[in-house]
Amino acid sequence: MTNPLASQLTTLFDNSTLNQIERMRLRPNRRLTNRARGEHLSGKGGSSTDFADFRDYVAGDDLRYVDWNIFARLRRPYIKQFQHEEEMHVVLLVDASTSMLFEDKLLRAKQLAAAFGIMGLLNVERVSAYAIHSREGQPWKLPPGTGRTKIRGLLSFLENVEGGGNIPIEKAIETMLRFHRGRGVAIIISDFLTFGDVSRPMNLLYSSGLEVWGLQVLAESEINPNVQGDLRFVDSETQETLDITNASELLNVYQDQRIWLQEALNTLCRSRQGRFLSVSSGMTLQSILFEQLCRQGWILR
Amino acid sequence: MKWPGFVNLWGAWFLLALIPLIILYFLKLRRPKMEVPSLALWQSVVNDQRVNSPFQKFRRNLLLLLQIILLCLLVLALMQPFLHADAEVAEYKPLLIDCSASMAATDEATGKTRLELVKEKVREQIDNLTGDQRIALFSFSNTGRRLTEFSNDRRVLTKALDSLQPTDLPGQLDDVLRMAAAYTRTFPIKTVTIMTDGNLPDAVDFELPFSLDVQKIDPGGPNIGITEMSARRSGPEDWEVFVRVSASSVDLRGAELQLFEDGEPQTSHQVEVSNEEADRLVFPVSTSQSKLLEARLVPVGYDSLSVDNSVWLTLPAARPLKVWVSPKLASWRHAVRVQPNLDLEEPAEDGSTVPRGADYDLMIIDEDGAGNAEAPVRLFVGVVPPDLQEIIKVDEDVSYVVDWNRTAPILRHVQLADVQIGEQPKLATGAATKDLEERGYEVLIDGNAGPLMLQRREGLSVSYYFLFHTDRSTLPYRVGFPILAANAIESALKQAALSDVAAAPTGVLPAVPVDSGRTYTIKSPDGEVSSVESGASGILEGISAGRVGRYDVLDGDTLVTSIGTGLLNGTESSLKPADEFRFSELTVATEDAKQVDSDRPFWWILALLAFGVLMFEWWYFQRARGAMV
Repeated sequence: MTNPLASQLTTLFDNSTLNQIERMRLRPNRRLTNRARGEHLSGKGGSSTDFADFRDYVAGDDLRYVDWNIFARLRRPYIKQFQHEEEMHVVLLVDASTSMLFEDKLLRAKQLAAAFGIMGLLNVERVSAYAIHSREGQPWKLPPGTGRTKIRGLLSFLENVEGGGNIPIEKAIETMLRFHRGRGVAIIISDFLTFGDVSRPMNLLYSSGLEVWGLQVLAESEINPNVQGDLRFVDSETQETLDITNASELLNVYQDQRIWLQEALNTLCRSRQGRFLSVSSGMTLQSILFEQLCRQGWILR
Repeated sequence: MKWPGFVNLWGAWFLLALIPLIILYFLKLRRPKMEVPSLALWQSVVNDQRVNSPFQKFRRNLLLLLQIILLCLLVLALMQPFLHADAEVAEYKPLLIDCSASMAATDEATGKTRLELVKEKVREQIDNLTGDQRIALFSFSNTGRRLTEFSNDRRVLTKALDSLQPTDLPGQLDDVLRMAAAYTRTFPIKTVTIMTDGNLPDAVDFELPFSLDVQKIDPGGPNIGITEMSARRSGPEDWEVFVRVSASSVDLRGAELQLFEDGEPQTSHQVEVSNEEADRLVFPVSTSQSKLLEARLVPVGYDSLSVDNSVWLTLPAARPLKVWVSPKLASWRHAVRVQPNLDLEEPAEDGSTVPRGADYDLMIIDEDGAGNAEAPVRLFVGVVPPDLQEIIKVDEDVSYVVDWNRTAPILRHVQLADVQIGEQPKLATGAATKDLEERGYEVLIDGNAGPLMLQRREGLSVSYYFLFHTDRSTLPYRVGFPILAANAIESALKQAALSDVAAAPTGVLPAVPVDSGRTYTIKSPDGEVSSVESGASGILEGISAGRVGRYDVLDGDTLVTSIGTGLLNGTESSLKPADEFRFSELTVATEDAKQVDSDRPFWWILALLAFGVLMFEWWYFQRARGAMV
């Protein structure tokens, strides 16, 4: 009798889900990404076979692109221009701090990162991945790679990411930017629960030529907390405490604050030609990928 | 608005208990810990809540708030707050407590004396004293006594109150009211409260500087007692002893009246009296020696007051009145000689004008004097006292009587109008009647130019001075002259206690003639012993006799004499409360005892509130625990 898990490519999701993911691709807002080769169409001046336009010949142009028929008829050299088929850099950033250990938040984050990575690799994008956990140590990182052969490495990297750490998301982004080079899309999967200012790392991402895709993963207990009476909350990362009296009376305010945070993050991402979505870790991966993200236009089937 | 006052202001120190309460609350506050991914959202919630609800702190610590309220309420209750009923009236309250003999009256139902009932009511007032109130306790019977200064010290007031006992003395308001009035100079006294059974003289010679609140308690039960005892000489060795028995009730009450002579029972008599019909009994007593009589009443049935059931009377030894009249005063000698039971010394055959004896009961003396002889009653004729010779001069002129003191014993029923006098005593220039009074003389007859007759009392003796010679006036020829002589003899008889004697009431013992310059011991009925000096006058006087009974005068271990006292007060024995008291310009109605207006304490309301808060806190705590579970 064979172990069914042994035939699975990854522990993050089953093969059927993987098959569905392989047929999907990312849908960035911007076309101009990397001047190197890739499957994404960009402007004129590319090296694909799709003709785009003519322009006057200038000294130094490659004579192979001179349209000799035009030259014969008009006695003037013109250079044929073709559509670029550009390579897009997909940066995956997984928040692996302690706060992500609650209720499968980290697992869902790793699954989503794997899905986004597989989509990028199968669409010949350069995919790199970072999992950041603590302030002091170096982040776990997967060097940029492209092509189907890198899928196993990506999955293996994400499977081995362990949670635990106290780094806030704004510091995690800054840490990631110290290692990253290239334009494309930065997909940040986190709960975005931080005391710090997220707008600064967002600006850094944008100025680095990265679209900011924020994906907030919250536990069900964070979306609809069930608390009553007098409590002493302990921060899982900093161990700081906060005394709450009659917590049930504060739930309305909590929901207001949560929605306000989501709207603020959404505004931050959209103002930088990005996207933002908040999902619950209680939702299935299929529901998030094939319903939420498709409906929001993050990915194409 | 009147702020409440506090009886125990020191109780505010207990508010310091708030400090450990708050510390312990936060030390003991154990909240269930709950780990959350991040405090970011909750911190925002708390910040937002603080901004939107400034009192959220209190809501969060409602239990602490309730405990603080509870402690504050308890401390306030401990401080015994009160609302001022009438601060002006409530400030200083003199309480005059009647301790007269009638306050010892009991009733059949409770057996308590009137004084005990009064004490209970006063004790209530002391217990309800508030911070701004001061009470001064006075007791009174025939005189007043201050028991305490104005104070709100319950211990001092209660101790003074407990020491009060009913006396065997009649009640009198004048003295104690004057004592209370003296305090109006230093304290803002508006009302003086009298706690009494109302058995007091209804006429009071006193002008009230304050309003009077007479709190009257119910009189005691039925009483029967001796209200009068006296004796009158009916023969050389015979006396008639009169005893008056009265009762307080409408119904006839019976008793047996017993008479004792020197402690030996002599006779007894059954009496039946009511408050409308007293019985006056006469007992004949024959004795030539001094005797101490005791009338003792043995009531049939319940008798609320026992102190008026015994009375003592001392009968003097029988003897004729010893009189000496100056040989030159023939008119006086003739007038005196006709009086019975007299031992009038005849003039000496050798013509001497000096009396042969040393002690007389009456001496009528002219300008020649009487040598060293002494008498308790002396009547000088045509003599100006030596100490007045600078003030009074006698001229050779005619004078006449302008006015005279008709109530003086010696001038009773004596008509002096139109008496012509051949001499004219007159005051010296610059002298006035007050100069005579300062020297102890009282003018009995006023003439057209000055005083004609003076009286001077020295101890038990009395001296009368005719400043003119009666033989040089028409007085011996007037009808009033023998009456004048009879009055002098009567006065001497009384002074010598040879005509009639009356039982001595409680208060002060009658003067006792003894040897001069000696110390005597007085033994009272309750066994107390005191020493009294007889002084140069040879008279023991001013001896306090607050108890009914027999007082022995001892010279060392030798019994000199015995004197008995009795209550002898019809008002006290009648137990009849006065409906109103008549003051000089005011009538004060008495009313039943009531609680004197006092401030209203409301500590119990605070205590109830504290209990309510405690219940609410318990309910809230249980509810909070249930919610957390």
